[in-house]
Amino acid sequence: MTVATDLSVTIGSLKLRNPVVTASGTFASGREYANFVDLSRLGAVVTKGVSLKPWAGNASPRIAETSCGMLNSIGLQNPGLDVFTQKDLGWLETQDVPVIVNVSGHTVEEYAEVCRKLDGDRRVDAFEINISCPNVDSGGMVFGTSCPEAASVVSACREATSKTLIVKLSPNVTDITEIARAVVDAGADCVSLINTLLGMAVDADTRRPKLARVVGGLSGPAIKPVALRMVWQVANAVEVPIIGMGGIADAQDAIEFMLAGATAVAVGTANFVDPTSTMRIVDGLTEYAHSRELHKITELIGALEV
Amino acid sequence: MTGCCGTGEKGHAGDQSSLERVDLLSNERIAEGVGLMILHAPHTASLVEPGQFVHLRVGRGRDFILRRPFSVHRAHGEQIEILYQVLGTGTLAMAELGCSDDIDLIGPLGHGWDVPENIDHALIVTGGLGAAPLGGLAEKLAAQGVAVTVAMGAPTQERLVGRDVFEAVTRRVVIATDDGSEGEKGFVTGPVARLLDEGSYDMVYACGPEVMQREIASMCAKADVPCQVSLERLMACGIGVCLSCVVSTKDGLKRACVDGPVFDAGEVCWDASEIPPKH
Ligand SMILES: Cc1cc2nc3c(=O)[nH]c(=O)nc-3n(C[C@H](O)[C@H](O)[C@H](O)COP(=O)(O)OP(=O)(O)OC[C@H]3O[C@@H](n4cnc5c(N)ncnc54)[C@H](O)[C@@H]3O)c2cc1C
Ligand SMILES: Cc1cc2nc3c(=O)[nH]c(=O)nc-3n(C[C@H](O)[C@H](O)[C@H](O)COP(=O)(O)O)c2cc1C
Ligand code: FES
Repeated sequence: MTVATDLSVTIGSLKLRNPVVTASGTFASGREYANFVDLSRLGAVVTKGVSLKPWAGNASPRIAETSCGMLNSIGLQNPGLDVFTQKDLGWLETQDVPVIVNVSGHTVEEYAEVCRKLDGDRRVDAFEINISCPNVDSGGMVFGTSCPEAASVVSACREATSKTLIVKLSPNVTDITEIARAVVDAGADCVSLINTLLGMAVDADTRRPKLARVVGGLSGPAIKPVALRMVWQVANAVEVPIIGMGGIADAQDAIEFMLAGATAVAVGTANFVDPTSTMRIVDGLTEYAHSRELHKITELIGALEV
Repeated sequence: MTGCCGTGEKGHAGDQSSLERVDLLSNERIAEGVGLMILHAPHTASLVEPGQFVHLRVGRGRDFILRRPFSVHRAHGEQIEILYQVLGTGTLAMAELGCSDDIDLIGPLGHGWDVPENIDHALIVTGGLGAAPLGGLAEKLAAQGVAVTVAMGAPTQERLVGRDVFEAVTRRVVIATDDGSEGEKGFVTGPVARLLDEGSYDMVYACGPEVMQREIASMCAKADVPCQVSLERLMACGIGVCLSCVVSTKDGLKRACVDGPVFDAGEVCWDASEIPPKH
């Protein structure tokens, strides 16, 4: 008789029942997916980016499909912390799933203030600090592409909360390991990567860019090789756990990220294609672990044979 | 609702939407560049209201990945009809689909046409493929005893798609074609201006290119007749999550996939509205 594999993984002080979480901005707070996904079977819900005050987002068109992927320039449109706390956290509280709040800000202080305000809220299990959004003019990726800037955001958030702090890294840098080291030194318990790759699409008929903002973030299967490479590099550079993401669409993809060094995986664009993606991936991981007779799913982490 | 909608009050893709494996029953070319697909989709067919849409997964590969949104033209029994224009990768692939192909959809989605209880006479205005979301509405109105007048516009006579559905429920079908191959030569706005002058309509339902809808909306505002329009936006998720489909309204940004695609024309900020790429 084979014993069921222990699928649980640990990120900071947070224990996830399995490694599969949602990628910020592709799942809202989960309510819209209730017809498709059993939230209690997810490792965690990572919410849409939340800022202190409401953000209006960018002009439309905000998306463009590209080969094997999509560009988006949504621009972190969100109704602000107060509405989020009331509506989204109120709903999430009734669900049996850990909640990771994705935080955005224009300034160091704004990031820290969101963490401070939610620090005492027991409905929040961890923060994911987004210093890597390519779609806003100030803040966002500006912080994620410079070591001192990244460190200053993370230090301020670290002071503001004792909850698990995850820092989301941008792939739009020359050496992602430098930024990873800087945020870990500043107090990050975990790093998540990658956010979208800066890209662009042009309409040859109209001679216009396909996005109103001209440039946007590329996601989906097209970015998976880049994401895997970066996860592997970061896994070799820092000791903290990694949440890997970028083009994950099935269990095979998820396993590849774990072998490259990820402790957990996030599913983003795939939710749009198949709203049941996360469930398929949890099932696929379970099957894989069973067929390979793994005792613990953690045996996969960094098990790449080079 | 505040200026920035997040996951708003109307919330989510109708609680009744689901991911449905469907069978393709037929897929015919009915005019130059226009196809009609009949799908066996019992879940969607039993619940769909006129003006709602489905988010269709056309290909299984990974080269183009997003679903495509299509209005349900009509629903009967366990079947739905989709009238589609062949434009780019996705719709080209749709035109090639055969009965053995693997297709699924999320549906029914969105907020369809509102039919107030006390209306006597409705005017339906279509521009080209704008007839797609209006077929089921014409049938519903007629079944409720509402008098229906239809003004159809299209580039040519052959492209007057959906016409038989309208002619089956009303004799008042007025036509305009760009090339004059049938009816009045010119845009549908010509006949609509006259109809609004002459008739007394309680409601106008319009769908077509956004410039046309904008024009109809302003004519209705002047004539003091309420008007609803169905707007197209690029959609990734189709269920209210990604905020790619926003429409500027007097109440701030709304999502075309859950708050629409049908909007009260008076609510839309037309100046700010975006015309999708190929219409
Ligand atoms: C609610 C709704 C209902 C619709 N109903 C119908 C219908 O009944 N019949 C019909 O022919 N068309 C309808 N459309 C438009 C239809 O979705 C597009 O024509 C189709 O997605 C084009 O796909 P493509 O791959 O051929 O084009 P491509 O240009 O190759 O597509 C590239 C991307 O842009 C998107 N896109 C391109 N044009 C549009 C558009 N006008 N609206 C939305 N997305 C677009 C595609 O979905 C895809 O993500 C509807 C759109 C919406 C939003
Ligand atoms: C429409 C859209 C919205 C996004 N919004 C956010 C966001 O609010 N915060 C954030 O940290 N990342 C955001 N992302 C990035 C994703 O969380 C993820 O890092 C990226 O898409 C790569 O994963 P994927 O290929 O699985 O989608 C967004 C991505 C998309 C496609
Ligand atoms: S919110 Fe995703 S398409 Fe409307």
